[in-house]
Amino acid sequence: MNRLTIPAAALAALAAAPALACEPDFTGVTLTVSTQNGPAIASALQAAGRSWSERTCGTVNVVEFPFGELYPKFLTAMSQQTGDFDVIGFVPAWLPDFAPFLATAPETFTQGEDWEDIHPVYRERLMVWEGEVKSVTMDGDMHMLNLRADLLEDPEEQAAFEERYGYPLAAPTTWAEYRDHAEFFTRPDEGLYGTAEAYRRGGQQFWYFFSRAASYTNHPDNPGSMFFDPETMDAQINNPGWLRALEEYKAALEFNPPGALNNGSGDVRPLYAGGTVAMNIDWADSGVLRATEGGPEAEGTVRTAMLPGSTEIWNHVTGEWDSFDEVIHSPFLAFGGWQLGVPADSRNQEAAWDFVAEVVSPEVSSAALVTANSGVNPYRFSHYADTQNWSAIFTEEEAASYLGAQRASLDAPNVALDLRLPGFFSYTEVLEIELSKALAGEVEPQAALDAIAAEWNRLTDEFGRDSQLAAYRASVGLDPIE
Amino acid sequence: MSAGLSQDRIKHAFLWPAFLLVLAISLFPLIYALIVSFQSVRLVPPLPPRFVGFDNYAEILQSARFWGSMRVTATITLASVALQYVLGFALALALHHNVPGASLYRVTFLLPMFLAPVGVALIARMIFHPFLGPVNDLFTTLGFGHVEFLTRAGPAIAVLVTIEVWQWTPFVTLLMLAGLQSLPHEVFEAAKVDDISPWRRFWDITFPMLLPLSVAVVFIRLVEGFKVIDTVFVLTGGGPGTATETLTLFAYNEGFKKFNLGMTSALSFTFLFVVIVFGTIYLALAQRLVRRVT
Repeated sequence: MNRLTIPAAALAALAAAPALACEPDFTGVTLTVSTQNGPAIASALQAAGRSWSERTCGTVNVVEFPFGELYPKFLTAMSQQTGDFDVIGFVPAWLPDFAPFLATAPETFTQGEDWEDIHPVYRERLMVWEGEVKSVTMDGDMHMLNLRADLLEDPEEQAAFEERYGYPLAAPTTWAEYRDHAEFFTRPDEGLYGTAEAYRRGGQQFWYFFSRAASYTNHPDNPGSMFFDPETMDAQINNPGWLRALEEYKAALEFNPPGALNNGSGDVRPLYAGGTVAMNIDWADSGVLRATEGGPEAEGTVRTAMLPGSTEIWNHVTGEWDSFDEVIHSPFLAFGGWQLGVPADSRNQEAAWDFVAEVVSPEVSSAALVTANSGVNPYRFSHYADTQNWSAIFTEEEAASYLGAQRASLDAPNVALDLRLPGFFSYTEVLEIELSKALAGEVEPQAALDAIAAEWNRLTDEFGRDSQLAAYRASVGLDPIE
Repeated sequence: MSAGLSQDRIKHAFLWPAFLLVLAISLFPLIYALIVSFQSVRLVPPLPPRFVGFDNYAEILQSARFWGSMRVTATITLASVALQYVLGFALALALHHNVPGASLYRVTFLLPMFLAPVGVALIARMIFHPFLGPVNDLFTTLGFGHVEFLTRAGPAIAVLVTIEVWQWTPFVTLLMLAGLQSLPHEVFEAAKVDDISPWRRFWDITFPMLLPLSVAVVFIRLVEGFKVIDTVFVLTGGGPGTATETLTLFAYNEGFKKFNLGMTSALSFTFLFVVIVFGTIYLALAQRLVRRVT
């Protein structure tokens, strides 16, 4: 009897062992997680899916779509309550449109050290809609200036630059200096060009335009007035600040490699990584790409700086340019990084939020940061502090510059948030159309901006000026108008 | 009598399910879309639907963007189909007359037709790149300047026409070759005996006999051509501005970017109306031409 009982008990214990390892136990649960085509972001979700499966015994199925199809796919599925997705990976600009269909983060999720470790710009502004946490940042994003130490620190270049422009060669702090740098390094006979920015319609061009415009329109005394007047919801995009930005953005074509009108953000990265340009404006991906794929000549040369600022900012209230003694930096959180949301129609809410917690946990996210092509960039205080985590990619100096520029951008008092408004695509569609006309020289910049402003005002009226104003104020952190 | 009634019941039992299925699958969505076209329906931002009568249609007809996309669609379609027909017919004639290597060409010429238009557009984007593409390399070698193929309206439309011609000429070749091979040999042998020149044999015998087929082939290509979207989407995105935006791309942007469903439905029906009117006029003219020639 005993002989039989002991092996049976052992078998029972063995059978129970996997169940005990599941914490919490999501055996039999399959989460459908969807985002853009990999490897960027999707590979990070797959990696987190593997560790989540080991911990909880659930399974994760990552479904990928081309970026251009994400918005219609997600919105159609959620608005029709199909329950197709348990977790979606999307961008903050879509949050106003998605928020009505997303579940609010459980209270347990928004407490504790891990929660406080997320930078408040993400935690308190980009992840919140109408007072509720509707999405969770899994990738921190902002536009930055990527530079090259091999050029900046070359004594001959330094001497020649100072002789020509009358000030030392260093990371440009204003857009005027940025122009000088771009001009100085534009040497087609050497195969070197000053800078690389994206200009192609559909190639994320408008974020590059916004990054410049923030410096001339994000007035520190008039918070939230960059895109619209936060009192009336009148479009501001045709004011002199935006005009200056568009004219300078167009003029910089001269210092880009030939054919730059065809370049999207995906083209800008290899131009910097491969050494065709002296600098570029991009998200944090360019620095990693140069460090990992740039070859021996690129070793140790990645330098990153906050976007240039301006000493003049357009004041839409007084209708005049205001001058400042110091350069005002308005680093632009272009795109704002990828976020995760749990659709309200998901039938696996608990497991879905547990998976989200896995993806953004300090351990899993730190590993993703330094995994090639994960597309994940820092967004936690611990990410910015841990330069050692980057030792496989960057030298100590590179890591300090790379992380320092990102942290400084987020900490900047006049940081500029991206446009987030219901009907985002309606607003940006006309923007892209008119921008591409102006860049191709088919219309004058002012005419293009006037056309955008007219259409933005018409859309605002069509969608409801009061509701759009309330949404806009919420998106820029202003209290509702009483 | 009762046997007849019973047979009627059986007929109905077989007919009604099929009829209802067709109604549910094809007619209901069509009728629903027609109803939506008279409403203002937006999913983003979500606004309650409201009846607006013909407002969507009026807005479309007053929209410069709509007429621009009509012009672009018509230009690309008419130019590319005309070239496809001429080239396709010429290639079919060459293959029919067994030029050396005809069997190899027969397979090679058909290959473009089997490629996905999106893939073709991606390759074309590289080929026509203003500075890195081989076409511009050739232009430079020949002493011409760089052409901004994809960021200038005129060259971009020319590129789109070229791609359409390259990809769909094989379709015309295939059908015209089948037509040529079905023509009676006796007529051509008699013409040869009478010492009629090849040019007259073509104009007076081959062309008239193949005219009904030509009408059908061109009609199919015109209808297909009007639906062009994938190559434009990948190659130019409709730009610069909206200079290369076709009707279908315009409708796609309204529907799947802006979720303006009322306007999109109205656009779809306007598009359908345009194709029907165009098709009717084309077929009426073609019928008259066929009668006159034959």
